[in-house]
Amino acid sequence: MAAGTLAGIAMLVLGESHLSLPGYLMNPLYEDLTKQGATVHAIGACGATAGDWLKTVEVPCGADRFKGDTVFKGRAATTSPIKELIAKDKPNLVVIILGDTMASYDNETFPRAWAWQGITGLTKEIATTQTPCVWVGPAWGTPGGKYFKNDKRVEFMAGFLEKNVAPCVFIDSLKFSKPGQWATVDGQHFNLAGYQAWSANITQALASLPVVQGLKK
Amino acid sequence: MKDADLALYPEHGATAKQSKEIRYLKSLSHVLLGCVGLALSVLSAAADIPLYPTGPSADSSFVRFINGTDAALELTAAGSQAKVKLDVKTPTTVFYPVRAKSDIKGQFAQAQNKSDIATTVKAGEFVSVIALTDGTKLKHVTIGEEPDDFNALKVSLAFYNVSSTCANAGLQVVGRNVMLFEKLGVNTLTRRMINPVKISVQLLCGEQATGAPLELGDLTAGERYSVFAVPTATTTRIFLASDAVAR
Repeated sequence: MAAGTLAGIAMLVLGESHLSLPGYLMNPLYEDLTKQGATVHAIGACGATAGDWLKTVEVPCGADRFKGDTVFKGRAATTSPIKELIAKDKPNLVVIILGDTMASYDNETFPRAWAWQGITGLTKEIATTQTPCVWVGPAWGTPGGKYFKNDKRVEFMAGFLEKNVAPCVFIDSLKFSKPGQWATVDGQHFNLAGYQAWSANITQALASLPVVQGLKK
Repeated sequence: MKDADLALYPEHGATAKQSKEIRYLKSLSHVLLGCVGLALSVLSAAADIPLYPTGPSADSSFVRFINGTDAALELTAAGSQAKVKLDVKTPTTVFYPVRAKSDIKGQFAQAQNKSDIATTVKAGEFVSVIALTDGTKLKHVTIGEEPDDFNALKVSLAFYNVSSTCANAGLQVVGRNVMLFEKLGVNTLTRRMINPVKISVQLLCGEQATGAPLELGDLTAGERYSVFAVPTATTTRIFLASDAVAR
């Protein structure tokens, strides 16, 4: 990918635990996006669901990176209302990387109503600010582990997101690898190589979206 | 009275609130990174990630109240003085989040007539409590729905038939020989997805066109709506309501 494909774009990137540790997605993605010219504010909140970004919710851990090194947080971490974040940062693109925390991997029944309520609550809130947004779905994990992630449910979750995140544009992370291709440490969180691969794919996918290309200065 | 005033029903706490509790109550299993080459600081930080839930303990549940009569009525919840007025202009509340399986109690009141409400809602269920009158007595019908058609790119339209005089109800698109819904029994509902186009519909009771056509207006993709067929003193009428959920 040619350098500078995201030049001039100010991104607010929100996510779950994948964005909450340096060896996870946070640093590789931040660095990949900034290498392409984007100005990035990335915030991770462990366990946060879509609805949690409508208010301030305490989470067990999180991270924040904006114009410098990552600040990793323990129990002091919280989510913040999306409208406040957008009002403060004034991004011209919001990127949501979220799916695993809403997939109910350990539950036979997928909580459709709850997921729909949270997803549409967040996308509608973003829409009121007229900020374009992109939603990056979950990637394949390895079946089992303490989160009980499994291929069938992650595929369902990605499909559910694809149908429900509009007006955000959906990026399907399942297309970036084959099931089990990226090794995990616990079934859900990847090792550094996996996160680097996910990051590179997200960056490339973002750069190719018409909504993003239309933002470049 | 605004919807926000109807804080009368059990709070839906099975989502963020319960998730938060679970986060703290669940054992704090630690992530063990065995990835060769990771810095010790990374390992240290990774070890601090506690286990978190990947969904709620129960799906969300919702209840709404509809005035299916021709006159205004008041809705109250048990144990509360707060009232919501439902009239022909604003015949429905939004869907309020409630805790699954909890008791929902309240009352419809219209002049001296009253109808006590007592229902429960299953996880993942959207329940509509519809007030009706037979001319003298106020009553209500409770209809639940467990939708699986959530889709932000389409309009979701439901058709509720609570008119006992309208068997095999249908909705036909005005100006086209297209049936949106057909042969719907009394006290039942059906739902389908349609494209966000501007249409008017005609109620059919059996094969008989009944009442005036209803313009559905500009339906928005991703939004959910319901058309209610309710009895009047002499016939059956239809009206459109948004299926909006309280935020």
